[in-house]
Amino acid sequence: MIPFHTLSERHLVYAYCAVWLLQFGYGAWLAVQWRKTRR
Amino acid sequence: MVSERQTSAGRGGWGLVWLGLTLAVLVMGFVKAMTAPTEATMGNLQRIFYYHLPHAILSFVFPYLNLAASLLYLWWRGRNRELALAADAFALASAEVTVLYASIGLTTGMLWARPAWGIWWTWDARLTTFLLLWLLYVSYLLLRQFSAAGQTAVISAVLAIFAAVDIPICYMSIRWWRTQHPAPVFGGGADSGIDPGMVPAVLWNVVGWAMWGTFVLGLRYAIERRRQRQSAEDALGYLGGDPSLPEAR
Repeated sequence: MIPFHTLSERHLVYAYCAVWLLQFGYGAWLAVQWRKTRR
Repeated sequence: MVSERQTSAGRGGWGLVWLGLTLAVLVMGFVKAMTAPTEATMGNLQRIFYYHLPHAILSFVFPYLNLAASLLYLWWRGRNRELALAADAFALASAEVTVLYASIGLTTGMLWARPAWGIWWTWDARLTTFLLLWLLYVSYLLLRQFSAAGQTAVISAVLAIFAAVDIPICYMSIRWWRTQHPAPVFGGGADSGIDPGMVPAVLWNVVGWAMWGTFVLGLRYAIERRRQRQSAEDALGYLGGDPSLPEAR
């Protein structure tokens, strides 16, 4: 179960989600650019 | 004889192996972060540290790669055009990854600060110099994006040299001045250090995010090299009057 009851718990979840969103979002954007850029 | 396409495919295969290993290490890092002993005063909030620390450390590493590539670009630009272009592509890739890691360092720091300090932000030496670091590399990317073609690489290489001055200042800020930001956790004297049970979570995440950073850096570099070759081919096509090429922008 995701801890979401206190401010600390919410911010812990936000921090981990923010990292995954930014890192894997950037990775996905790079993958799209890789496919779009002519060899 | 090995063709360029085969070489590229070989590199792509190794890249996927590296990506697989990286994701495995990151999963392990997450498991270790969630199962590490709970910190006595902050409780579970302290687990943000396992993601904040690697990104903050790597925010000090990638700018040095940018600096090295920028210096190499300035050295090679009048001597070897191909190596200079490679260095310029690497400088761009490392600046972009710096902004990514510094953005995460700032975000996770602020998410930790709000419950821990009761405030999102304070203008202490570490936070201010870290924000300055982020702004400098955002400026670098904006300069590359919007400056007139021709001198972009030279101007951005010079900016990279100035931007790098902030890295040691930011790194040393929590040693030189009293800051609201916590004192150094590692190498900060007799009172520094963490519970041995927390060390694996730190190490797995530092290694995992360093591997991920290497992967995205390599991929961004390869994309930029492709784009450079594409631009060179287009320019040659215009000179040769190849009608199959798109019109000049």
